[in-house]
Amino acid sequence: MSSGSNLLVGAAVIAALAISWMIHERGQITCPPDKACIRYMAWGNPEQMNVERGLTDRFEKENPTIQVDLVSVPGANYLQKETLMLATKTAPDVLRVDHYNFPKLVEDGYFADLTPYASRDPSYRAADFWPSAMAENTYQGRLYGLNVLFGGEVLYYNKTLFKSAGLTDPFILAKKGEWTWEQFRKDAIAMTRFGSDGEPITFGTLNPGMPSITAVLRGFGADWLNARHTDSALDDPRAAAALQFVADLVWKDHAAPNPAQSANNAFAFETGKVGMYFDWMGMTPRFRNLIKEFDWDVCTLPTDTKGENYIVKGNQLVVSASSPNKEAGWKFVRFMTGVEAETLLGDDLRREFPTRQAVAESPRFVTCTKTPYQVSAFVDCVKTGRILPIDDRWAEWTQDYNSDIDDLMAGRNRSAKAVLQKVVKDVDRTLHEPPGY
Amino acid sequence: MQIRIRVKPGFYGALYVTPWVLGFLIFTAGPMLASFFLSLHTYDLHDLRFVGLENYHRLFTQDPLFWKALRVTVTYALFSVPLGIAGSLALALLLNQKVRGIPVFRCLCYMPSLVPAVASAILWQWAFNADHGFINQIVGLFGFGKPQWLQDEKWTLPAFIIMSLWGVGGGRMIIFLAGLQGIPESYYEAATLDGASTWQQFREVTLPMLSPVTFFNLILGLIGSFQFFTGAYVMTSGGPNNASLFYALYLFRNGFEYMKFGKASALAWVLFAILLVLTLIQFSFSKRWVYYEENA
Repeated sequence: MSSGSNLLVGAAVIAALAISWMIHERGQITCPPDKACIRYMAWGNPEQMNVERGLTDRFEKENPTIQVDLVSVPGANYLQKETLMLATKTAPDVLRVDHYNFPKLVEDGYFADLTPYASRDPSYRAADFWPSAMAENTYQGRLYGLNVLFGGEVLYYNKTLFKSAGLTDPFILAKKGEWTWEQFRKDAIAMTRFGSDGEPITFGTLNPGMPSITAVLRGFGADWLNARHTDSALDDPRAAAALQFVADLVWKDHAAPNPAQSANNAFAFETGKVGMYFDWMGMTPRFRNLIKEFDWDVCTLPTDTKGENYIVKGNQLVVSASSPNKEAGWKFVRFMTGVEAETLLGDDLRREFPTRQAVAESPRFVTCTKTPYQVSAFVDCVKTGRILPIDDRWAEWTQDYNSDIDDLMAGRNRSAKAVLQKVVKDVDRTLHEPPGY
Repeated sequence: MQIRIRVKPGFYGALYVTPWVLGFLIFTAGPMLASFFLSLHTYDLHDLRFVGLENYHRLFTQDPLFWKALRVTVTYALFSVPLGIAGSLALALLLNQKVRGIPVFRCLCYMPSLVPAVASAILWQWAFNADHGFINQIVGLFGFGKPQWLQDEKWTLPAFIIMSLWGVGGGRMIIFLAGLQGIPESYYEAATLDGASTWQQFREVTLPMLSPVTFFNLILGLIGSFQFFTGAYVMTSGGPNNASLFYALYLFRNGFEYMKFGKASALAWVLFAILLVLTLIQFSFSKRWVYYEENA
């Protein structure tokens, strides 16, 4: 082949690539001229995304002038992707944001203020929602999102193990106001069994990590940060007592597995080898699928403070500040957090707790034909539960805490008070750093 | 009709190399310059503020985790690089033998390096399980206790160093093998005639002839060990108590978890400077021990 032909072939290949790229780019823009097109970005497992796709289809049927393009992004890359898109003003019109990231992003002005849209919407009434759900949606008194995948932390418990250890059902104890941390500890010890070779057979509980351990901390009257989130509050003796309680479950009472014993999920709740396990309501579908060999249900976490230690958290549906279709975005947010969506996700799938009080207290929600039957535990948890102290440095100071507390939880240092001195020093150093560093 | 276009000599060479040059400028040189620019600022994708050398100053004077990450990484490099090179060389020597089925052995030895890094990290996590992992089963045969490999900060780094041996059968071994096969047989014949033992032949013929290859592997091994990331990210997330907080993990965490791109860029440039200095030192020392045949 001559050099001229070489050049022609090369030019043809480049032209073909350019044309295919242009066709691809044009293929992205398929919005009919008579419709408002919005993009909605979320993450989740296939089951969750199928539900969202179904809801999106229903929204399009009810709102024929709005077209929704659902963008699914893997959870592992979601934060990076959403932050980059928001910063470059290429973000989808509506996004689901994990509340862990919400405070930082709202502070940076990436989300549209939805207060005017809410005040113009006759069907919107803030009083319909649980106050704790609304607390996560607002920033400086303005509404920036509506809560989805909301719920409280509950205790999943193995009824079969409770029964075989001759213990009273914790749900009954909770209803009588006798489900305390001390009772929790006694029950955990009673359900723990070791074989003749010294190997563990069952453990009473799995120790809670971050953020579940907040419920224990608050249960002992302590908290992570001071009210203004400027300093660690872990120098409180009550914080030391709470963390000592958790560490002692492993190293003194031997009622919870140590890190080596629990490695590789050897004592996951679904194995049936653990009596009690802290997690969010969203774990229910997974346990329904996996657990066939033993009876289980849910109850509230232990409390000595009438439930003030319960914790709640959700994700927020927000409208991007750069969206050209904010009105359509608001409509979509309202639909995705509406009664129909909450009934599907809350009642049928138990993926979330309804943010609306009326839906949560409706017979359809509180009556259940499948495990878990004791749905009132979810309700009780949200009634008194409080949100986590998530701020724009949450990821950093919780990392400091997790690194330092490992000395206590792994048994290298048995004194919570001593370990917390280092935690306080490191968390304060992070909190005192000027913005940007 | 045939089209004839006259072009200057070297035109086609330049044309063919253009995609690579463009790729280098856009995807390597450009981001490097951008990261240097960012290292002089604080930047969270929202606010960009010029701070001069403050990011570097804070790293060296106010960030204990920077020093911790550096210490962890240097310790890892000090052990994993020599062990890895020795292991790869030993394996290459074995696989250079003329025995039946040697291609099969070579394939088998190379296969572990084909396992994706995340998958092998998960496998090693199982292997290092203190109660059920096969490593402690072997350790138990010798009457030792059960080290808590990934839970005890004393054992975490040794665990990662052991894990680094997983790569001895990979690319480094192939390079050694190619180097061994490039040594003329006549050198060994001459040494045999002179009465050299096998050990003397290895020391006086094989090692000097392999020195350029060893040098190459040393440079790449050192750079690779300073960039170690996946295993620590998957297996321990830097714990326990930051005992496996490798430099690259700390950099990633600052950039993509805390969105501190200024600090992360400064960390990247400090790493670049460290690697540059170490490489230059190795080059200067290489004159003493690396033997190039064409310079003889």
